[in-house]
Amino acid sequence: MAKYWTTLSGAGVLLFAAVQTHAADQSELIKRGEYLAIAGDCGACHTEEHRAPFSGGHAIASPIGTLFSTNITPSKTAGIGNYSEAQFATALRKGVRADGKQLYPAMPYTAYARLTDDDVSALYAYFMQGVQPVDTPAEKTALPFPFNLRFSMAAWNLLFADTHVFQPDASQSATWNRGAYLVQGLTHCSTCHTPRNVLMAEQPSKNLQGASLGTWYAPDITAATLQGKSHWTRQMLADYLATGHAANGATAGGPMREAIDKSFSRMTPQDRDAIATYLLPAATEAPSPLESKGLTPVQGNDFPDTIAGMHEGERVYRDNCASCHNLSGQGLNGLPPLQAHPILNKPTADNVAMAVLQGVWPEHGQGMIGFADSLSDAQIAAVTNYVMQDIGHSSVQISTKRVSVLRAGGETSPLLVISRIGMAAAGAALIITLFWWRKRRTSR
Amino acid sequence: MNNPLSADVVVIGAGVTGSLLATRLANAGKSVVLLESGPKIDRDQLVARYRASAFKSDFMSPYPFSPMAPHPRYTPEPDDYLHQAGPHPFAAQYIRMFGGTSWHWAAQLWRFVPNDFRQHSQYGVGKDWPIGYDDLEDYYYQAECIAGVGGSPDNGSPRRHPYPMARVPASWLQQRVTARLAPDFTVLDDSTGRNSRSFDGRPACCGNNNCMPVCPIDAQYHGGIAAQQAENSGVRVVTEAVVYKLEHDTQGRIIAANYFDWNKASHRITAETFVLAANAIETPKLLLMSVSDTFPHGIANARDTVGRNLCDHPAIGVTFDVDEEIWPGRGPVSPCSIGQFRDGAFRSEHAPFRIDISNASQVAAVTKEALSEGYFGKKLQEQIRFRAARRLSIKNALEQLPDPNNRVTLSDKKDPLGLPTPSLFWNIDDYVVKGTAKTRECYDAIAAKLGATNVRHSKSGKFSNRQHITGTLSMGLDPATSVTDGWGRAHDHPNLFMVGTGVMPTVGTCNVTLTAMALALRTADKILQETQHG
Repeated sequence: MAKYWTTLSGAGVLLFAAVQTHAADQSELIKRGEYLAIAGDCGACHTEEHRAPFSGGHAIASPIGTLFSTNITPSKTAGIGNYSEAQFATALRKGVRADGKQLYPAMPYTAYARLTDDDVSALYAYFMQGVQPVDTPAEKTALPFPFNLRFSMAAWNLLFADTHVFQPDASQSATWNRGAYLVQGLTHCSTCHTPRNVLMAEQPSKNLQGASLGTWYAPDITAATLQGKSHWTRQMLADYLATGHAANGATAGGPMREAIDKSFSRMTPQDRDAIATYLLPAATEAPSPLESKGLTPVQGNDFPDTIAGMHEGERVYRDNCASCHNLSGQGLNGLPPLQAHPILNKPTADNVAMAVLQGVWPEHGQGMIGFADSLSDAQIAAVTNYVMQDIGHSSVQISTKRVSVLRAGGETSPLLVISRIGMAAAGAALIITLFWWRKRRTSR
Repeated sequence: MNNPLSADVVVIGAGVTGSLLATRLANAGKSVVLLESGPKIDRDQLVARYRASAFKSDFMSPYPFSPMAPHPRYTPEPDDYLHQAGPHPFAAQYIRMFGGTSWHWAAQLWRFVPNDFRQHSQYGVGKDWPIGYDDLEDYYYQAECIAGVGGSPDNGSPRRHPYPMARVPASWLQQRVTARLAPDFTVLDDSTGRNSRSFDGRPACCGNNNCMPVCPIDAQYHGGIAAQQAENSGVRVVTEAVVYKLEHDTQGRIIAANYFDWNKASHRITAETFVLAANAIETPKLLLMSVSDTFPHGIANARDTVGRNLCDHPAIGVTFDVDEEIWPGRGPVSPCSIGQFRDGAFRSEHAPFRIDISNASQVAAVTKEALSEGYFGKKLQEQIRFRAARRLSIKNALEQLPDPNNRVTLSDKKDPLGLPTPSLFWNIDDYVVKGTAKTRECYDAIAAKLGATNVRHSKSGKFSNRQHITGTLSMGLDPATSVTDGWGRAHDHPNLFMVGTGVMPTVGTCNVTLTAMALALRTADKILQETQHG
């Protein structure tokens, strides 16, 4: 009997230890999932300001209408609480919900397809156990016809989605491979930085070569361009991802600023280094850091004759920009210089105009005021052109018309019209065919 | 312009208090018209005007002047808009434009200390307010949340909630002066509406040191922001509308306001409720101009109380060179002060005061000084650098007691619209003189602790204005000695309210805008409560 008890209690200890180990493993898994969710920036779309984490309802303006992100908390009524891990994996990597309906590719499942099974498991554990369930459903997405037909996305997936899990390249270092895994998968860089075709699919042949998001421009981040005029080094890239600032004068704005605040800055330094290594595979020498100028001497004048001879753009710059960026864009007391700022050697001036319109609002640190309410489209075009040309020595200009488009949130996509015309044409063709076929039958 | 003919509420004056009140009423569904005598000008235009101005030391130089809505000017020569009738000139400065005078300030947003509201019962001098600190505490906090105020928590004004904004980091000057003056003098962060983080669509202060005359990036709250919010909330704003007469019915209710546009065409607007928010000198002027057979001395003035008890903080200053480099000119211009003389039993004997330490760039002042001493060339540069790095400038905010003889009346001069200009009588009593002597003792002690050389006190017997103009529309329980009741309502005119610093019966020892903002929000709530129809 005593032996029996001993055995039993021994088994109990073992069982207890096993349960404990399992719990520890599980909490480790959830923690890893939380980190992956940060790296994947799930919160950027699924967490709306002033709402519970991941409860959705964030409006995403797209060229074909407004989409609302879904509630991905483990709520069984409003969220994904009923998802099995397999269903979760299918949604994440293939863009198909548990009910079989298609997701819109605003959800970057085309990138998340690269995720390993292990990482999917960790994400699943986190979303099921590490997130508080919220039973409030998010707003429903109602896109105009024909985009409301979700099954059409199945055809889109067939055409464009690459569903292969990431395959490491044995000839590259572990750091490079980690960077490749992140860039191609979780951090879904191509979602913004790769241009899309007429059906809004990324063009693999132009991977990371830069694309307009309608308003802000996501620049070319291929190695050749990064190492070109703006002299990025790996260290600069890593610093930029951590803080939004780099020694070459770059400062982040717009959606990249948000991605840095919510995602990149909260990743490990090792992961940021890995991303930098993948983007800049050939290590570059750090150029000598920009010389610190110390005190900025007072210069220029505001005599009436000087001002009278100025173009509109320079005048607007003086009255709105110079007190922080200095009279010729030298920067002032730690505020960003514009001279040599990488934003000024892009193929478009959109980002300068967007920064002027909306300002730049980092989560921490100095923000820049926006001027949408106080400057006209013509004034914004003028000051943008002044900054591009006179400070940045760029020949790229912007028109007043383009500024009004940016102010309105970008061009509406021709896709809607094209697809409706397309569907109408297909419908007409069908009717004509049926008519012809009937006529043939009756005439027989 | 399509001028509105009537509204639920007409507010006269688009400064910070009138705008806050108008916004609150509009958000509650009232139709509100806000009449402003001056023009609307954007921040970048003000920056441009200041950059182009030859008078960089005159903080009024960016602000447009029009003879149609004149305000006092002092450079290059005084314009004599204000007639000085008393022994001491009251050199008032205010701005008649969309947003009002708080365009040009250092965003000092202070609460009174509780004893300021019960001065007479506590210390036997001055006046008690018809309301107490506790009546205003919640409104103080509402105003602080609107403006984004931060400061030292233990500054004598108890708080139920922490400041909504963290303070802007202390400048080198503030750090050094704080360390050197302790423990005899405790230097506190000023209570200011200045962003230390992005808030309300405005960025954090980046240290332009240009708070006065205009913050180039809107890091500090000001009346222009409040007025724009009013307009965005659906308030119909009419600028360049100079109100010259209020009309009343047989019951004494106000029925209409008459105003000139800048072409001198007259317009008339009717409303259920009228609110005067046109500053502590221009509002009394309007009341005194609005004479009728029933009210031959003007609206709200049946007992000859309008415009009396004019107060400011009569200030003295000192400058000296500290024995180390403190580098004024980086960060906000007014970051810190000494508050230990704001309250205490001594208030029955002499005026209480706050000591304000300036952090404004001294380059212009010391350059002028070194030039006048005959320096030139390399020696001039050395002197400018030496003095600009060490120069400390200090002044006080000292409480003057209300005196009915200090007052605003109408002069016999007329402006180009044919409206009389204000006349001011201002005297200084013994209470101020004794408090001033105490201030000067403190100045000398501070200078000694900072190893000062080149100590220069402002001229003895002369007082400068701090532009904290109060008293002329005093709230009070007794209609014989006050203009308005505890809600800012005119004693004889049930639908006429007044907001702004004029309704404050005493001036305290701090900048007055926050108290006026809190009172305006409270008056707005009172109007809403009274005009809610079943």
